[in-house]
Amino acid sequence: MKKIATVLVCVAVGVFLVWCPYLVSFYWLRILTNIFMFAILAQAINIIAGYVGYPAFGNVVFFGLGAYSTGILMVKFQTTFFTSVLVGMAICVLFTLLFGVPVLRLKGHYFAIATLGLNEATRAIVDNLSGLTGGGMGLSLPLRAGDIGANARYFYFVFYGTMLLSILVTYLLSRSRFGYACRSIRSDEEAAEGMGINTTKYKTLAWMISAVLTGIAGSGYAYWMSYIEPGVVFDMTIAIKSFVMFLLGGPATVLGPIVGAFFVEAVSTLTWSHLLNYHTGTLGAIIILVVIFMPQGFISFIRQGFSFSTFVKKGKKKFSGREKRIEMA
Amino acid sequence: MLYWQVLINGVLLGGLYACAAIGFSVIWGVMNLINLAHGSMIILGAYITYVINSATGLDPFLTIPISGAALFLLGFMVQKYLINHVIEGSVFMTLILTFGLDLLLVNMTLLLFTADFRSITPSYAGLGWEIGTIRVPYTRLGVFFFALALTLILSLLMNRTKLGNAIKATSFDKDAAGLVGVNVFQVYAITFGLGAAMAGMAGSLISVLHSFSPVLGGTFTMKAFVIVVLGGLGSVPGAIVGGLILGITENFASVLLEAGYKDAISFILLVAILVLRPRGILGKQFFAEV
Repeated sequence: MKKIATVLVCVAVGVFLVWCPYLVSFYWLRILTNIFMFAILAQAINIIAGYVGYPAFGNVVFFGLGAYSTGILMVKFQTTFFTSVLVGMAICVLFTLLFGVPVLRLKGHYFAIATLGLNEATRAIVDNLSGLTGGGMGLSLPLRAGDIGANARYFYFVFYGTMLLSILVTYLLSRSRFGYACRSIRSDEEAAEGMGINTTKYKTLAWMISAVLTGIAGSGYAYWMSYIEPGVVFDMTIAIKSFVMFLLGGPATVLGPIVGAFFVEAVSTLTWSHLLNYHTGTLGAIIILVVIFMPQGFISFIRQGFSFSTFVKKGKKKFSGREKRIEMA
Repeated sequence: MLYWQVLINGVLLGGLYACAAIGFSVIWGVMNLINLAHGSMIILGAYITYVINSATGLDPFLTIPISGAALFLLGFMVQKYLINHVIEGSVFMTLILTFGLDLLLVNMTLLLFTADFRSITPSYAGLGWEIGTIRVPYTRLGVFFFALALTLILSLLMNRTKLGNAIKATSFDKDAAGLVGVNVFQVYAITFGLGAAMAGMAGSLISVLHSFSPVLGGTFTMKAFVIVVLGGLGSVPGAIVGGLILGITENFASVLLEAGYKDAISFILLVAILVLRPRGILGKQFFAEV
């Protein structure tokens, strides 16, 4: 019963969002598009961090790579947007093939920092290759032909479609053999290896999927904004924000990161429009409150019938057992 | 001769880096907690020095105890009333908790001091030692010695006192520490306080040399990351080695290569060290599972 209700609610929301661009103002269209973009990023993190247990903190590197692939190809080689997206995806795949094996040997915080290091190094290199990338001056992309309304709807559907794709990929992942392999890696990598699972292969594949989704979002962002610079598309704040969305929503759930993205962006937009000077502070305070009161994320909060009991139990719990020190959600 | 100058500059900067990263390292090593608000705490320390200096004209070096005490209090409260509630849960929930804290601190400092860059210029700022063509300004020298002294004091505290033993015991095995009568949550609060105090005092030192603004916190957090990974988690000598390596590398990179590649070099170094020797150069295994 519960399952049917969930599916019905999802379908209703999905259909409503298709209808949405013809109802709301450009302002809200833009905010929704932005939410979809972050939902894709959060879902991409969910695949590698939620299912495989590798916190890819610096995943924003693929966002930047996608954005710059699109930027460079469209400006210097006059390709179409679609071609540039494909090339961007290919570059993301190459990047994970190149760095996947050495970096995915690391675990926990160390993996997180290694990806962060990769992002910062890539950003600095892009910043310095000014002949190709425009350096700190940034890169202006050609504007899409057509009137403002049509363009707004175009990007709305580009990001909406990609978000649906990311949900589909995660759904398939969560039910497939591949998904089981990923989850077994998360619970105990040595045991998974012992059972004959090729952990390196699955880890790299999962990171690749995550990278490609992030790359598409980056390409879309570049064309949408029509201006990119290294400081913006390789910005760690994007990475941290999507990580927050992923964690608040609920790790290793199909819809959690999407819910998280909607919540964080909605709060962010509301505080931004009403309390401009206190915007980041309010967002910070809300994040702190959510972490304290819903440490398991929204999805389990909803599943447990909107009760704060997890929190109360947590507070009473004393040290017991020797739980593994580094463990993901 | 140029290279000697670059080396000395690198070493002097490295000492400051070590002091700025040690608090981050201790918090991470003892509680397996990454404090993303570390950089903002450094900036807060710098502003405390700035406010006292511009109000009373007190020498920036003499404000170090004040910023240390203020940040200790802040850190203690944050750990006691916020982080201790979720420290038992997922590692990454504590991470975003400190991210929220960082947003709050940045916003607060922005409201209080605006985004303008501030700097403190003591009367002796232009003076320095000259040996041949090498020049060492007194401010840099002073910052270097204070940074090392503070780091040393923390090291003594960790290795020679009862409190230090309690902190170390908690970091090795919190259950066993609890059994022998250590109040684990209290130790956590004190550890976070100490880490924050080191950040604040490092901020006071930084304010003497560089101009600062509330939005620079992220840069310092990032540098702390690099230093801790280079040197090894939770160890004082590790932070000194990591700080020196980063300081020297940055200085040489900006002379030998285009200035813009400075950051690329330090992060490539970071990834290389992680892949080749994940424990860091002097690292022992604390919480870190590699």
